[in-house]
Amino acid sequence: MSRSAIGQVFYALLAAVLVALAATVKTDGYIANILMQAATYAIAVFGLSIVLGLCGQINLAQAAFFALGAYSVALGTVDYHIPFWLCLLGGMAIALAAGAGLGLMTLRLGGHYLAMVTISFQQILTVVLTNAIGFTHGPDGVSSIPRPAGFASGQSFLALVVAIMAISGYLVWRLADTRLGRAMRAVRDNELAASANGIDVYRTKLIAFALAALLAGLGGGLFASGFSYVSPDQFAFADSIVLLTMALLGGAASPIGSAIGTGLLILIPEWLRFLKSVPGLYLAVYGAAVILIVLFMPDGIWGYISKLFRARKPAPSKAAEPLTLRPLDSGAPMALEVKGLCKHFGGLKAVDGVDLQVRRGGAHALIGPNGSGKTTMVNVVTGLYRATAGEIFVDGVDVTTLPAHKRTVAGLARTFQNIRLFRSMTALENVVVGAERDGNALIERGRAALWGRARAALDFVGLENRANEAIPSFSYGHQRLIEIARALAANPTVLLLDEPAAGLNLSEKKELHDLLGRIAAQGLTILLIDHDMTLISGAARHVTVLNFGRRIADGETADVLRQPDVAAAYLGVSE
Amino acid sequence: MTLLEAKDLGVAYGEIEALRGVSFTIEEGAVVALLGSNGAGKSTTLRAVSGLVAPRAGSILFDGKSIAGLSPRAIVKLGIAHVPEGRRVFPGLTVRENIMLGASNGSASSAVIGREADAMFDFFPSIKPFANALGWTLSGGQQQMVAVARGLMAKPRLLLLDEPSLGLAPVVTQAVFQIINDIHKRGTTVLLVEQNAHMALKVANWGYVLETGRLALSGDPATLWSDERIRDAYLGGEQAKAAL
Amino acid sequence: MDLFLQLLFTGVGIGAVYALVALGFVLIFRATSVVNFAQGDFSMVAAYLMVVFAVDLGWPYWVAFLISIAGMAVLGAVFNLTVYYPLRHRTFLPVLISTIGASIFLANSVLALYGPQPQVLPGWLDTPGFQVGPVYLDSQYLIIICVTLALVAFQYWLFERTLIGKKLQATSQDKEMATLLGIPVAGMIMLTFVYSAVLGGIAGILVAPILFVSIQMGSTIALKAFAATIIGGFGDVAGAILGGFAIGIIETFGAAYISVPFKDAFAFLVVILFLIVRPQGIFGERVAEKA
Repeated sequence: MSRSAIGQVFYALLAAVLVALAATVKTDGYIANILMQAATYAIAVFGLSIVLGLCGQINLAQAAFFALGAYSVALGTVDYHIPFWLCLLGGMAIALAAGAGLGLMTLRLGGHYLAMVTISFQQILTVVLTNAIGFTHGPDGVSSIPRPAGFASGQSFLALVVAIMAISGYLVWRLADTRLGRAMRAVRDNELAASANGIDVYRTKLIAFALAALLAGLGGGLFASGFSYVSPDQFAFADSIVLLTMALLGGAASPIGSAIGTGLLILIPEWLRFLKSVPGLYLAVYGAAVILIVLFMPDGIWGYISKLFRARKPAPSKAAEPLTLRPLDSGAPMALEVKGLCKHFGGLKAVDGVDLQVRRGGAHALIGPNGSGKTTMVNVVTGLYRATAGEIFVDGVDVTTLPAHKRTVAGLARTFQNIRLFRSMTALENVVVGAERDGNALIERGRAALWGRARAALDFVGLENRANEAIPSFSYGHQRLIEIARALAANPTVLLLDEPAAGLNLSEKKELHDLLGRIAAQGLTILLIDHDMTLISGAARHVTVLNFGRRIADGETADVLRQPDVAAAYLGVSE
Repeated sequence: MTLLEAKDLGVAYGEIEALRGVSFTIEEGAVVALLGSNGAGKSTTLRAVSGLVAPRAGSILFDGKSIAGLSPRAIVKLGIAHVPEGRRVFPGLTVRENIMLGASNGSASSAVIGREADAMFDFFPSIKPFANALGWTLSGGQQQMVAVARGLMAKPRLLLLDEPSLGLAPVVTQAVFQIINDIHKRGTTVLLVEQNAHMALKVANWGYVLETGRLALSGDPATLWSDERIRDAYLGGEQAKAAL
Repeated sequence: MDLFLQLLFTGVGIGAVYALVALGFVLIFRATSVVNFAQGDFSMVAAYLMVVFAVDLGWPYWVAFLISIAGMAVLGAVFNLTVYYPLRHRTFLPVLISTIGASIFLANSVLALYGPQPQVLPGWLDTPGFQVGPVYLDSQYLIIICVTLALVAFQYWLFERTLIGKKLQATSQDKEMATLLGIPVAGMIMLTFVYSAVLGGIAGILVAPILFVSIQMGSTIALKAFAATIIGGFGDVAGAILGGFAIGIIETFGAAYISVPFKDAFAFLVVILFLIVRPQGIFGERVAEKA
């Protein structure tokens, strides 16, 4: 049985045991309350582990979404006599809508703005809950919230909550290994690379945000019935901070970490009850703890532990089949064609009316001295910048106005000058992200085909035996190869390599040269940008030269490199 | 006399080796050109001299004293000013303010520095009309003048210029190199990093050529220019191809 | 019309407090790219220091003020060394969270040391106010407006007319270049934190006689100040100041004409609106970065 399957069985057993304990072990009211709080909070913290841990987006309104779920159940059952389960689902839907709505408005801004918006939303909700007395009962809160039929006793309801917590924990845990989960992790690690590998960054962040809100709503709804009483001061900004601290302490990136963090931060204050005798003291310690965690344990307790386990992953089995590359061929004469491309930054004309025709098959090089516009041109062709004017065709398809991730679907793949790998993932996972881009016909046959193809791509660059190692353990030159494997796994039509030789020593350059030959032998079209003329003249048959944003030469490499104005562009000889 | 001497210099960024075993000397009062294609290690050499990066191996002696590993602030106080690649004029400050900040390695009063800045405008007449314009509004060539003027305010014995012609139109480049000539005539020693070998060798007394982190050639400008191998360093050559 | 003028006066008065806190916040952001969630707590700590020295110990107001401000300077320095400096090379998220932790720590340390009862701090002047035509000018509000204008003028003088102000600006704009010129960057950042803490402290001492001195006053003021920077244009000094006044006025008029209990929500509604419609704020990017 695979390690992952063993883990899942273990999880199921543990969950069953916990539920059974909750249902049968009699505890006094105080302890029961603590467990109830821990369990419902844990669900909300699982939500944070998705949006913050997996996707890297800040969310300081988790208590607000929790409140939406709680008040939906509270007001729904008490004031409107709607059945519990309907209220719970309704509350989750409302929380989901709020999360999605907030996300739609502001995820494009990111960073501090997102923090600001979530705080603002939290504050507004607190004010509304406190002051819209007619609807929310105001500061008095809502009491006597009933529980669903069959779970009327505190004990049975606790067991229900633990069961739901276990299920949601399981789903969050498995999420990391799905396509969506990988997309979230890619966005967190390197947005630009995620986009270049076909991931719709905005949509991914939005989903993460919405899922976090959904889980918070679930936790809140259960909280309401669990305690039979809700009031606005239970869902304030301070509580969002408490949830955040729980996520960070345990380790934001996994539900196990979340559970640990939640447990510790609810239990510790109980053990250290003496701290509560002086108001504010334990929260002060809390605040100091946050700083210390960020400083010394940025991955949290579980993150720290799991890093130790990572080092001992076994080597995978050998790949079954060699890598196949079947680039699209619609019959259009050029694999990549650029017409009259312009990119202006204010008054600066970085690219000024450049034409480029890249013939199908083999390698074409784009060269020019520093500041000639090569990198800008690559960034416009791949969609990082919007063209000021001109057109770009990949295999005859006009991609000029498509966002970067859609160009990948059209058949474009690239590597970056300063390597952009997803550093928290293994080599194999990085390549899988490349392989699972939309529209990759070669992985139609399901999960086995996907991972098999990723293995094959790694094997093609000679690193298959190290597939399960994390990125930081690879040398710079090998990281470069993994990035190329990731691009190849996507079965591109045109592969753009942006200064692949940068930072490589002589033997690594030789490896690269050989790899380029093997790629070309499979019929793939390569556009190579580099300064290393030896590599260029060895690998590329055709070359285009840029200077001051314009094309100054184009043709067979040996001829072009002998032209006097090309030498002049580099060396500065006057005509 | 030798003002700067680098011996067996080795610099790495993480595990990427940018310079290896590089040795060169700069005589006082000379203009020395450091050439090579992109990625050869030219900027890294300047950054090692000015203290932005500490060398992993080798030594750098300025006026006989070791400066390897000192902070940039300490080094600029010793008399080495670095005008980095890309000009890096402070965009939100005026030209005059930018130039005045060039004297931050000393402790003169604001009034004295102001007068020195005004005197500097006489040396750079083309930017005098822009004295109160914000840095970001200037053209590339004007920004380059401001950056060099700012560097001179430190009254350096050695001025490090990193690719002053980068991104500039040929006619503006001429003006920049004219300034370098004038600086040379005033007695400041200059270490000039350039991709534009032709212009650099026209103004230099001596040249070094770097290729992938190592010293490939050195000599006086005329000899260097007529050497076939300088073309190879930039555009690749038969011998290097044979190695593949 | 009378009501309008009265409200305008009050709005400008409270807006001045937000402007000062926003200014301190923006200065730190420009110098370090850090969003300092503890900015409002500087105001709160200073107010409590005043209570200790001026009320509990009964020292003269001026003396208590100077000691409190000195205390804030020390707090700013310690804050820099413990919260920002060790994290200065990390991404923005850990630093942001660290400042949140600092905010919790400050607020609750004061709570633990002083207790939860809100305190009263008397105003600067003995006369409660002056009647000028139809408008009653509360003396504390007058002091707030005057001190704020003086500080804004000082801010302008510091940044536009002194060499050290230029060095501070240079550090914000390009740290590495500043280092190459010999500017002591770490010292400039320390100065920024100390100055911002003092600004926040003065704001807190000024506003304390109007509100109660309480643990929560810090976060309320801070959030309004953040709102001010968003409206004014994130990272823009003039924008932060004007944004502060704007928030004060919006809030005051909103409370009077729409609803008092919901007045705290207005600032945040305006923030969300701005973020949707014009995220770069009123002043947007004042300085364009050359490509």
